[in-house]
Amino acid sequence: MIPRHFQITIALVLLAILISGVVIIRMTHKEEALTLQAAEAAPVAPVVGGKQEHIQVLMAYDDDQALRWRPADVFLPADRGLRARETLRYVLAQYLQTPSPHPLGKGSDIKDVYFISDDTMIVDTTAPFADSHPSGILLEEMTLTSLIETLNANVPGVAKVKFLVDGKERETLAGHADLMSFYQTASVHELAKEFE
Amino acid sequence: MILALVVLCCALGVSGAGPEQQLTVYTSQTSYSLPVVDRSGKQYISVADLLSPLGSSQPTTKEKDWRISLNKMDLRLTEGKDKAVINKQTVDLGGKVLLENGRFMVPMDAVLPLLARLLNTTIDFHQPARRMFIGNPFTRFTPEYKNGDQPSLLLNFSQPVTRLEINHDEHRGALFTHSNKTTLTFRKDPLVSDLKTQQFSDGAIQSLAFSEENGAAVITVTGNKHLQVIRSEDGKTITLQPQAAEALATPLPTQPNTPSTEVQKRTAEFFVMIDPSHGGNDKGATFGGKLVEKDITLRLARELRKELEERGIASRLLRDSDIDLSLERRAEIANEQHAGLYVALHAGRPGKGIRVYASFLTDPQQPSASRFMPWESAQAGALGRSQITARAVSDELRKKGLTVANLAMPVRPLNNLAGPAIAVELTPETDDPQSPENVKRQNTVAAAVAAAIAQVRIQLGGRP
Repeated sequence: MIPRHFQITIALVLLAILISGVVIIRMTHKEEALTLQAAEAAPVAPVVGGKQEHIQVLMAYDDDQALRWRPADVFLPADRGLRARETLRYVLAQYLQTPSPHPLGKGSDIKDVYFISDDTMIVDTTAPFADSHPSGILLEEMTLTSLIETLNANVPGVAKVKFLVDGKERETLAGHADLMSFYQTASVHELAKEFE
Repeated sequence: MILALVVLCCALGVSGAGPEQQLTVYTSQTSYSLPVVDRSGKQYISVADLLSPLGSSQPTTKEKDWRISLNKMDLRLTEGKDKAVINKQTVDLGGKVLLENGRFMVPMDAVLPLLARLLNTTIDFHQPARRMFIGNPFTRFTPEYKNGDQPSLLLNFSQPVTRLEINHDEHRGALFTHSNKTTLTFRKDPLVSDLKTQQFSDGAIQSLAFSEENGAAVITVTGNKHLQVIRSEDGKTITLQPQAAEALATPLPTQPNTPSTEVQKRTAEFFVMIDPSHGGNDKGATFGGKLVEKDITLRLARELRKELEERGIASRLLRDSDIDLSLERRAEIANEQHAGLYVALHAGRPGKGIRVYASFLTDPQQPSASRFMPWESAQAGALGRSQITARAVSDELRKKGLTVANLAMPVRPLNNLAGPAIAVELTPETDDPQSPENVKRQNTVAAAVAAAIAQVRIQLGGRP
């Protein structure tokens, strides 16, 4: 005959194991949902060819109010337009991570990149890129300078860049930085020195 | 874009003293004025200035020949000849083509035949007043007089009127004779009317007269009191009423205050155009949910106005309430009123200091032979003075013990300003709108900015 107090102890241990199991399963599901949500918000990994290259990207760091070059290994196709798109997407993906050196809104992405002449490029961004971009002169200028300088360093022969938002012109990124102009990459190279 | 460019150029064009003779061209898309010069008793205009806003190609010059394309038509002019060639057909110009400082000039009489051939559309030319209407761009008005204790005159327009110059002339003659004339000049609006004069009463608002002169339409209202001019928000109604009366509609932020003098005229005195950024639905940056940029900038703007007044410097606010105002319109107003300095006020993160910005031209343009200036790089001619001002403001802020960064950035709309222009961005101390630290910081910044402007105003064209 098993003593009564031993029966109670066994029952409590089994109950604790059961509750722990349920909690662990729920936490696992929650983590999976968060991971899935983050993956949906991040730029969709494009199906591209090309080879992995070791490149330099100019990243914005809000805390320091500075831009700094950082090495990165990115798969880049030979086509200039695709190469530009993948380079920019890589930079945005870094900003969408948590924690981020320069947080941008979920859904910020590059829709398309195309050339309207041999040296003039149009970068078409998603609506959330502008709609949910934090407002402020410095924050907006850091984003644009980071993207244009990264393009300048990794895509040869780009002299001018203009940004569209969801296929349309917009006056500013989030109330301050000029999106109407064509940015000369040589001028932006000088502008980037302001952030050193 | 073209409209803004044209407005800017016209703003520059009229900056000189004296009544420059002008031709104004109105289309359904835009309107623009160009100078008319007298050569041997004939009136001449620059052909490039006339055709460029209508979408002509870049002109090419080869020795004495000048060519340009418009509307799939090719125009050729030759210096010294009195005939032009349009698609191999000859057009009589009524005088010889002149070449002055690289600009080909044709007689005023040639404007109508040239445009009629090039555009192939209806053109109505009011030649004595030098007003040309291409297509059917007309705006008309009807006056509505309201008598009573508080008389008023409503001018109802068929289209919104956007560009308005106001002058008040007050004449005190012999005993009991006293008349006021309020003159509304519409240079950019294609205003026409069959009405020449209309009598109303013998009181505050006595009569109205419509006339056209020197590329503009003019409505003159005569009475025995100084009249306040109020434009409705939709721009389709202008109300004139005695000065002391309560406003019937929202006054234009551009409306100048006219001091009471023997003969009052708008003068081109140095003043600072203060732009409290954002407003209305555009809140700007938010800080902790309750504190928003548009409120910070408005408070800071009022404080800056007070500080400037204490230093004897005139200033105007682009908005003095919570209203929407586009960036393009802000630049247009500052350009139209020939602001001696434009100061945009902002608030934003990151950091704790103050940032002072001058313009950064993203795509610098080479100076053009034409008097038209690209809207996107209008700041080019004033950039040096903007940088001097930005440095002076930074120095004054540092003297107050603040952390300051002096930067050059393409902040909208600095590049669209034809005169000196800077932006000042401060970071709030806390996220509490009522925080005394925030108020103290704003007051310090306003005092420093005003002190710096007082230092550089002579370099910017102001009096000491």
